[in-house]
Amino acid sequence: MSLEDPTRPELDVGETEEGVDYDALESLLGEYAIGREEHVNAEAFVVRPDEVQDALFLLRDEAGFDHCSCVTAQEYEDRYESIYHLSKYDDPTQEVEVVVPTSKDDPVSQSAEPVYRTADWHEREAYDLVGIEYEDHPDMRRILLPESWHGHPLSLDYDQEQPQVVTYTEHANPLQEDHSAGENSDTMFLNIGPHHPATHGVLHLKTTLDGEQVADVESDIGYLHRCEEQLCQQGTYRHQIMPYPDRWDYISAGILNEWAYARAAEDLADIDVPEYAQVIRTMSAEMCRIASHMLAVSTFALDVYGDFTAIFQYGVRDREVVQNLLEDLTGQRLMFNYLRLGGVAWDLPEPREEFFEKTRDFLDGLPAKLEEYHNLITSNEVFQLRCVDTGILEPEVAKSYGATGPVARGSGIDYDLRRDDPYGYYDQLDWDVVTEDGCDNYSRLLVRMQEVEESAKIIDQCVDLLEDWPEDEREIQSNVPRTLKPDPDTEIYRSVEGAKGELGIYIRSDGTDKPARFKIRSPCFSNLQTLPEMSEGEYIPDLIAALGSLDIVLGEVDR
Amino acid sequence: MLQDGGNATNASAAPQMLPDTIAGAVGLQGTLLGDVLGSLVGAALIGTLMLTMTALAGPWAKRKITAAFTDRIAVNRVGPFGLLIIVADAVRLLSKELIVPDGVDRPAWDLAPLVIASSALLGFAVIPMGNGIQLADPEVGLAYVFAVASIASLGLVMAGYASNNKYSLLGGLRAVAQNLAYEIPLVITGASVVIFAGTLQMSEIVAAQTESFAFGLKSWYAFVNPFAFLLFLVANLAEVGRNPFDTPEAPTEIVAGYQTEYSSVYFVLIYLGEFIHIFLGGAIIATLFLGGPTSPFVGVEILPGFLWFVIKIWAVFLFTQWARSALPRVRIDQLIEIGWKGMLVLSFANLVLTAVIVGVIA
Repeated sequence: MSLEDPTRPELDVGETEEGVDYDALESLLGEYAIGREEHVNAEAFVVRPDEVQDALFLLRDEAGFDHCSCVTAQEYEDRYESIYHLSKYDDPTQEVEVVVPTSKDDPVSQSAEPVYRTADWHEREAYDLVGIEYEDHPDMRRILLPESWHGHPLSLDYDQEQPQVVTYTEHANPLQEDHSAGENSDTMFLNIGPHHPATHGVLHLKTTLDGEQVADVESDIGYLHRCEEQLCQQGTYRHQIMPYPDRWDYISAGILNEWAYARAAEDLADIDVPEYAQVIRTMSAEMCRIASHMLAVSTFALDVYGDFTAIFQYGVRDREVVQNLLEDLTGQRLMFNYLRLGGVAWDLPEPREEFFEKTRDFLDGLPAKLEEYHNLITSNEVFQLRCVDTGILEPEVAKSYGATGPVARGSGIDYDLRRDDPYGYYDQLDWDVVTEDGCDNYSRLLVRMQEVEESAKIIDQCVDLLEDWPEDEREIQSNVPRTLKPDPDTEIYRSVEGAKGELGIYIRSDGTDKPARFKIRSPCFSNLQTLPEMSEGEYIPDLIAALGSLDIVLGEVDR
Repeated sequence: MLQDGGNATNASAAPQMLPDTIAGAVGLQGTLLGDVLGSLVGAALIGTLMLTMTALAGPWAKRKITAAFTDRIAVNRVGPFGLLIIVADAVRLLSKELIVPDGVDRPAWDLAPLVIASSALLGFAVIPMGNGIQLADPEVGLAYVFAVASIASLGLVMAGYASNNKYSLLGGLRAVAQNLAYEIPLVITGASVVIFAGTLQMSEIVAAQTESFAFGLKSWYAFVNPFAFLLFLVANLAEVGRNPFDTPEAPTEIVAGYQTEYSSVYFVLIYLGEFIHIFLGGAIIATLFLGGPTSPFVGVEILPGFLWFVIKIWAVFLFTQWARSALPRVRIDQLIEIGWKGMLVLSFANLVLTAVIVGVIA
């Protein structure tokens, strides 16, 4: 062993220089694999519903698939199906999917929660929306819809006309849970939210307090559920879906979200994107990332400082500049709707020189502003007292919960899809992935602040490229059929690095111009799951700070 | 030079108090009626004065100051400099519905805002504001100020406990813990000034700070003992509950703490109490450390004393707003730790040191 080259770690089972050797995986799974499917992004193995855990344990421990990015559930005419999308934190291009069919009359499948803790919420969502039940699941309840909901909205026989009559007695009285721990308990039950100054939207935290310390916290989500998946399933690929992604993570991360859909649909329908359009996409997406991170830093400061203080206002003031740039480019400030399948909606605003100059001015001013933030926030002793070594999220725990984005990178996980699974123009540009090893609130803030610098580097290079682009080669859109009808029964899962982490889209086509199943893998949804790990045993202010450092957007959590 | 400042004060003639002046003005000096009338009118004047300052500070100055710190403009549409927003806000706040939640502990819940607002107001009775504006000058003036200011803690507990709300309860508990932790360093540091001045009487403490110190400056205790001044300033921030010590309200954590359930007039009273408390803190600081209603330079009395006094308490107000705009809030356990392990030790060290210095030099 000692003679081996230390820079080349041992390959996992089924891992080759070129990618994944699915035959090796099949022999690893042995008789667990009862079938094999071809998806656009990876191959899939069909597994019996009562052998899910064994198969997943094998893939995780022997083949190194440590990242369960998403669980997709769907109903066919003859069966239900759960798809586990697995990849590796070290190399997300190595993917495999595990398909678990269940029968129509008894849709019960084994839970993957013991293997990947992130499956907890994903399977609850599958139960809630599609109706598959998971055995051995620690907490099989609805997650997005209220407990009193009738039917499962994404199942085939769901009656949308059915009135959702909820009797008065079915309404849960939150005060009844006051004494859930027993009359003589020393703990106190406290509802934080759904309306609370620090929940960044309508998030409800059911907390049990022991004095000032958090004994238990449970997130109650779904207040902002807007049936986004179903809306996308009712829209045509070409035009009607693109406006929706802007509304998931609505904190100015619109173009990043649009790109997630564009990437999945383009790969599904085999559409090329002109290089010029890719550069514009890369530039505008990074502008969105800066805007989003600026707001994340501001609101985190708001949570720790406790008021709309200088930091918040400075952050919003400086974000306004990049917001104006995006407005010049897209004509919108919030819901950009700028990307199209096969390109972007229109070219840079005329006069181009003015746009470049504005962008450069912004980039030139950025270092001084970040310096100011560092002076005000990160080098403040009281701030460090509050944020260093609080809200600890160990890398192993983060991986188990499928945490991605700045949350994972703040725990030292070197995972960034822009570099690891390149798309757009990122692989041609010079920039770095930022990681911090502190695993605490402070590290997550530092990661975001440094990523703003990296994004600025990317924008700067894009502006140079765009400025020198020959005028007759400025192709913003490739030829795309007027009506897009991907081949029936093709399935794809593709993700991009959104502002909050891995934003993935699963699409199954049925030969029509609308997707048969459209599933959104939201980074905030998975990241929010880590909150109890970070805050139990800590003080209330640390819970608030940890929540702020996760930078969740409820529009994306609830979809 | 210090001991001179400490002992030479007994010789100075006691200045006339405001009630006597008023009684004298209506020709009733020395009579019981004159005493009663003078005291009532005097108290009403001082009370009105402080409430006016609060009205200026709360709806207008606070907004303007915070806006200046945070790169905004704030109110500028209603009246000159947006000043009439004070009237608009008063109408708005008073016309709001007073919501009484189910299960509040009625007499206590109603009394709490009054206790909070009035306790701070009482403290101004013994503050020398210059130009003979002082209601009373008892020999234990400083002890009296500290005592009445602490009554506010009682109001906070009443508000927190009687509100029948868990956020209020947490806020009330935090307020008590915080006041306990910071009132002791506050009083101990105040005691070090008493050692210097050799008296608890407010006018005497002011008089002791009029000696020449250095560079033409007067012997303000902020110059003589800057360490005590800093300690007192920090402890006072905690006492009035402003960043980094605003844990009892902590909007992002416990919504609004003890005042979560208060609306309308009660809300106004609590806020009023807080602002008066900040001004009282400023008045105490001005009296103990900044020479009361006097100019900082020996022999340069360009402004009337009362104006100096107003400038000083507004300076302290400005300081609290600055801290609020720029400093993060500490966690409740860190706050208690800083109070008991840091401030208390430092304030006792300061007291002992002062005692030794004064004792040796004297």
